[in-house]
Amino acid sequence: MNIDHHSGLSFTEAGGPQIAIKEVTPTTVTFVLSNTDLSVANALRRVMIAEVPTIAIDLVDFELNTTVLADEFIAHRLGLIPIISHQAVHLNYRHECTCSPYCEECSVLFSLDVSCQSENAMSVYSTHLVSSSPAVQPYVDPANEKGVLIAKLRKGQQLHVKAIARKGTGKEHAKWAPCTGVAFEYDPHNKLRHTTYWHEEDARKEWPLSAKAVEEPAPRDDEPFDYKAKPERFYFTVESTGALPPTTIVTQALDVLMRKLAEVHRVLGGIAEAQGEPVVQPTYNL
Amino acid sequence: MASAASQNRHPQAKRKPDHTTFLTLDRQNDAINPSKARPHYPELAKLSAPHVESFNSLFGYGGASSGLLDRAVLDIGKRTVFDGRTGESNRNKLEMWLSNVSVGKPVLEGGSGMLSNQLFPGECRERGISYKGMMQCRLNWRVNDGPVTTEVKSLGKLPVMVRSVRCNLDGKSPRDLIKHREDGEEFGGYFVSNGIERLVRLLIVPRRNHATALIRSSFQNRGPTYSQFGVAIRCVRLDQTSQTVTMHYCTDGALTLRFSYRKSEYMVPVLLVLRALCEASDRELFERLTMGQSTNTFLTDRVELLLRSFRRYAVHTRKQCLSYLGSKFAVMMDSPEDHYEEDVGAEFLKRVVLVHLDDNKDKFDMLIFMMQKLYALVAGECASDNPDSPQHQEILLPGHLYLSIMKEKMGDWLGAIKTQIQLDLRMKPAQVDFADKKYMSKVFLKTTGAADIGRKMEYFLATGNLVSNTGLDLQQTSGYTIVAEKLNFYRYISHFRSVHRGSFFAELKTTTVRKLLPESWGFLCPVHTPDGSPCGLLNHLSHTCRIVVDKVDVAKVPALVASLGVGQMSGLGARVRLDANGVPDEDRMDVDGEASDGDADELDALDPEIEAERRNDVTVSVQLDGKVIGWCSAALALKVAQRLRHWKITRARPVPLDLEIGYVPPTRGGQYPGLFLFSTPARMMRPVKYLVNGEKDMVGPFEQVYMDIACLKEDIVPGVTTHIEESPTNVLSVVANLTPFSDHNQSPRNMYQCQMGKQSMGTPAHNLPHRTDNKLYRLQTGQTPVVRPKLHDAYGLDGYPNGMNAVVCVISYTGYDMEDASILNKSAHERGYGHGTVYKSEFIDLAAKRRKGEPVTVHFGLSVGGEEDGEVPTTKAGNILDFLDWDGLPIIGRRLTQGDPLYATVDDVSGKVTVVPYKSMEDAYVDEVRLIGTDTGDQELQKIHIKFRIPRPPIIGDKFSSRHGQKGVISQKWPTVDMPFSETGIVPDVIINPHAFPSRMTIGMFVESLAGKSGALHGRSQEATPWSFLEGDGESAADYFGEELKEAGFNYHGNEAMYSGITGGEFKADIYIGVVYYQRLRHMVSDKYQVRTTGPVHNVTQQPIKGRKRAGGIRFGEMERDSLLAHGVSFLLQDRLMNCSDYSQSWCCSQCGSLVGVESAAGQGKAICRTCGDSKGVEVIAVPYVFRYLVSELVGMGVKLKLTVR
Repeated sequence: MNIDHHSGLSFTEAGGPQIAIKEVTPTTVTFVLSNTDLSVANALRRVMIAEVPTIAIDLVDFELNTTVLADEFIAHRLGLIPIISHQAVHLNYRHECTCSPYCEECSVLFSLDVSCQSENAMSVYSTHLVSSSPAVQPYVDPANEKGVLIAKLRKGQQLHVKAIARKGTGKEHAKWAPCTGVAFEYDPHNKLRHTTYWHEEDARKEWPLSAKAVEEPAPRDDEPFDYKAKPERFYFTVESTGALPPTTIVTQALDVLMRKLAEVHRVLGGIAEAQGEPVVQPTYNL
Repeated sequence: MASAASQNRHPQAKRKPDHTTFLTLDRQNDAINPSKARPHYPELAKLSAPHVESFNSLFGYGGASSGLLDRAVLDIGKRTVFDGRTGESNRNKLEMWLSNVSVGKPVLEGGSGMLSNQLFPGECRERGISYKGMMQCRLNWRVNDGPVTTEVKSLGKLPVMVRSVRCNLDGKSPRDLIKHREDGEEFGGYFVSNGIERLVRLLIVPRRNHATALIRSSFQNRGPTYSQFGVAIRCVRLDQTSQTVTMHYCTDGALTLRFSYRKSEYMVPVLLVLRALCEASDRELFERLTMGQSTNTFLTDRVELLLRSFRRYAVHTRKQCLSYLGSKFAVMMDSPEDHYEEDVGAEFLKRVVLVHLDDNKDKFDMLIFMMQKLYALVAGECASDNPDSPQHQEILLPGHLYLSIMKEKMGDWLGAIKTQIQLDLRMKPAQVDFADKKYMSKVFLKTTGAADIGRKMEYFLATGNLVSNTGLDLQQTSGYTIVAEKLNFYRYISHFRSVHRGSFFAELKTTTVRKLLPESWGFLCPVHTPDGSPCGLLNHLSHTCRIVVDKVDVAKVPALVASLGVGQMSGLGARVRLDANGVPDEDRMDVDGEASDGDADELDALDPEIEAERRNDVTVSVQLDGKVIGWCSAALALKVAQRLRHWKITRARPVPLDLEIGYVPPTRGGQYPGLFLFSTPARMMRPVKYLVNGEKDMVGPFEQVYMDIACLKEDIVPGVTTHIEESPTNVLSVVANLTPFSDHNQSPRNMYQCQMGKQSMGTPAHNLPHRTDNKLYRLQTGQTPVVRPKLHDAYGLDGYPNGMNAVVCVISYTGYDMEDASILNKSAHERGYGHGTVYKSEFIDLAAKRRKGEPVTVHFGLSVGGEEDGEVPTTKAGNILDFLDWDGLPIIGRRLTQGDPLYATVDDVSGKVTVVPYKSMEDAYVDEVRLIGTDTGDQELQKIHIKFRIPRPPIIGDKFSSRHGQKGVISQKWPTVDMPFSETGIVPDVIINPHAFPSRMTIGMFVESLAGKSGALHGRSQEATPWSFLEGDGESAADYFGEELKEAGFNYHGNEAMYSGITGGEFKADIYIGVVYYQRLRHMVSDKYQVRTTGPVHNVTQQPIKGRKRAGGIRFGEMERDSLLAHGVSFLLQDRLMNCSDYSQSWCCSQCGSLVGVESAAGQGKAICRTCGDSKGVEVIAVPYVFRYLVSELVGMGVKLKLTVR
């Protein structure tokens, strides 16, 4: 697959779906997906949220917890810490691995061993977590160098845990979702009349125009309604939790999508072969 | 930083609080550096004031160091005993009385080497003991009026109210409170009884010292000739004990006084009492009663009849009357044997008749007034007073009730000593010698049980039962105390603000007592009352309603009233109507209108104007706290009332602000007129603004009825309105005030919210690790509401979050949101939305299994002597050391499932180790193990407390509600990808169905949604005080927040185009989406689900037992059976009622039809019918087991039941 950041994604087949990237920031990417069906666009959205694998803390062994917070509460907080997940592709899912309960192939070990000696309360941040793998670290927002607050300790309180991070997807638990939100929109002028804008007097006055409205020409008042028209341009904004760069989320999502299609293709091909029908080779390579 | 923050929080002085911020930093600062001086939220601390202040008044009243307790002790009086036999001469007289009762602060006793022996409530809670202080008194006695002997006696340990003057936390700052394991905002007002916080309920009682006219048909049952008319007055002594007296009108013209004394009822002719009070001739009485209304033949006839009929008693002088009374009441009063009848009569008048007055002349005047009111009632000149109206009610305060019980118990103790001496006199008279100290101490020793006042008070608090010989002039014997549940903070606060009408009224079939009356405006919240059986009986004080507790200084008021021209009583001369000419000019105020001469033309009476004017000339009485202080014309009384009010607000004269000035104008058949001033404690008062100078005035429910108080500025009528409400929200209780935009909702919804707010999981307290409540609910991820009323900040409720802000979508999506169910975003749930925890706890006391005095033989532990290498008993759950330590106690943080070892004990004697399993069906973590010692701390460990933590993430079936009475259960948890989403990528946390709105009309929820959305978009908190928006275009809340949304680039009305998460297609309709604060209610499926396939069955019937705890089934009852029958689903019927219930096989004889007569023949492997004597007809049939039981029961009664087997 082949992404050109200037002109967008070009598939081998001309006239296929196209992606035009509008804006990339460290946490967001805005692009327009066009020349494809609504179902494909929505599939991409769903895959980005639920099926791009990331790494998150999944199992926490408490050796010592004398904080005021309960074990399960701290474990839950640890789970929600975004962890830089470039390595996720190299890890096994838990169900793919034969080890018990975990091994290096499927997990990354984090440890947290803090105790408060000072009179003032001590704050424990995600940066206190020590990873067993240098490439897998908690994500730290540049605006907040300490990372995510996990707990606060008073003098004499201790927290010593071993946290096992695993690969997973947002489908299983929200902590593995790589994006905080996906803005998705098509047809900003409601030309297709998929929706009806409820209004008291004038829908145009009461309804603010979407920011994406400039992308498409506004319909003329006398324009006839094209009931055959289908949505074509899909405006996406993907915001990342920090686990993966936003662009990676998109590319990996496309990757996941294609693998899924390839799997369908492979299985159907197998059936076709068994029935003696000619097998069509895929036009894309993975 | 600190000073800046505190300025922010105490803004009254300088600037208005900023309601657009959440004041997060201030709160954080308060948490890190709690104040060393004053409470962070003074408004919050005031909520328990009626409780704390009334308890404090026991120890200090009216600024004096002597409190009500001393007055009560004084009022108990003396008990007198004589030795020897009745009739003998030279009998010795023993008088006993109490004095100097003192209560100390709670201390720990007997310990040595302690740093401090102070006992704090926190320790009592943790150890499950009561918070009490030593109570002592002096017992004085003297023989034959000789020298007084005094002995200091212990009265036991008295439970002490937390944060009262007798509490060790008195005057402590938030910082100190936290040090003593309390919340920084702890406001007390409750007692700690066996580790449980209990408080005495506020009760409604009739207004004291005010004669109320009553028409009750039950009065006719008091005796022959009794009519339905009566005038009752509840008289309250200085020590706050009361005695109600009712004056009855009999159809034969007689008037009687009825009172109850030690639970028995007595009736006395009023004239007898009047004559005993003052020497008065018939003529004087006639003139006092008629007050010159010689033309009122109704009155004169009756008074004449009354005076004439009294002749038959043949008592004429005051002395004779007193003797007569004395002779009748000597036994009832238990008066000393050496008293003359006359003295007894005087004592009777002092103790029973109008006890709020000391002076006999005052009592006389008041009785005359009551008679006049009664005659007016009978004549129909005035209406009866409504005893259900707050106008004629006041509050029975916890401290006052507590004191009256204590007083009675102390009196009982003296009585017990007297009884003991009398018993000794009868049984062994030789031993009785009053002068012998030894004998006396023996008597005291025998009555120590009665002297333990503390234990009796503890019983009262722990059970709420009133054990009393006198009944204390109250209508109920139980239900006086309640547990201050810390289910969440709203519920906790409400306990202190709740006012109950009395359990007597709960059984009443009529609903009139439950009605919401306009008189309660501003005093009792119209919204905050439960629905169901206590509706209208259990009310809550409005948040600004204050209860007068301390003494109000009214010493100058009678003089001030007199200076305004009110005629004074002097002598018993005839009181001819005081017309305007009767008052010397210099004393008079300008009274508008000329006085008419009273003999006006008959026709004038038909003219309403003339009639009204004439009414102004009616002479009315002026009373202060049930004492007649003068008489004047109605017109003058009005002026006096106005002038007094002006003085009290401007402070120009010594008229206290808490004085209630109730002027009842003369009306045709309305309330009996007069000027009634009240200064006594236990009255409700509330602040309103005086329009003349904008100052605060305190208003009571009696005067409010006749005042003109505008609610809003628009309501002011020039020349009429004198006051205005400080804020319309003043009428609401604390909890009702916290419903945002409640003015937009249909009213019952606000009532529901008041209930549900109190049932939601929240933050019950800050000192959770030091609490040992049976069950505690906690919301792990509570948030401050984006949309909240101003009061939320004033009461510091951000410290006690009660729910979370949720993005709510109003849409019918996937059908799982039908019938009030709501859909939860699974991912929101996974991120912590609505996560809660239940804490349960258990006390284990090994001493409870041991008899008192036996040596300790059972200890916690896994081995004798506590070695760490003994043999460990095996359990099903695996290695016991995974659960317990060698000390036999559970490991903190350990997860327990049913049957796991919970703790272990070892018996010294047998060496046997007993492992006690964890019994609950639900898994839990061991959160805390608390080792509990004794007061002295030198005993070995015998008592522990284990706290379990049960995580309760929201699951399908759990109940949630918004703050608008919109509750529902979670029916499905959809993952984010399947949820609808907006163009900006917002996915709702909760989906609710639009059908929840049309019939319920909770517009407030829509407004909250709008406000929450714009608040979240602009990053500010939204003010949601009810009645802060006007109605109409451009001024409504919807418009205000619409503009804000527009500014943020959203649709004005809060709608958005949304897309299906499943198809990605845009919805045909736009969707209402916003941010609403959601509460998680404590009703959870985990506590309620009931499942059974097979399981325990009932012994006799073999049918499944009932009860969730015992793994029983749910009854498949008659109506359920009927529906299956109607459906024709016979197989199901067979399955449910037979196969899955008590299916059994039985022998039956087809020849004789006997079921129970067949028995198995020994060793033959077959059955023989006993009636037929063979096994020919014996067959096996399937019958329900209960049927066999029925047959055998019938056999027992000699009834034969014959079956026909085909």
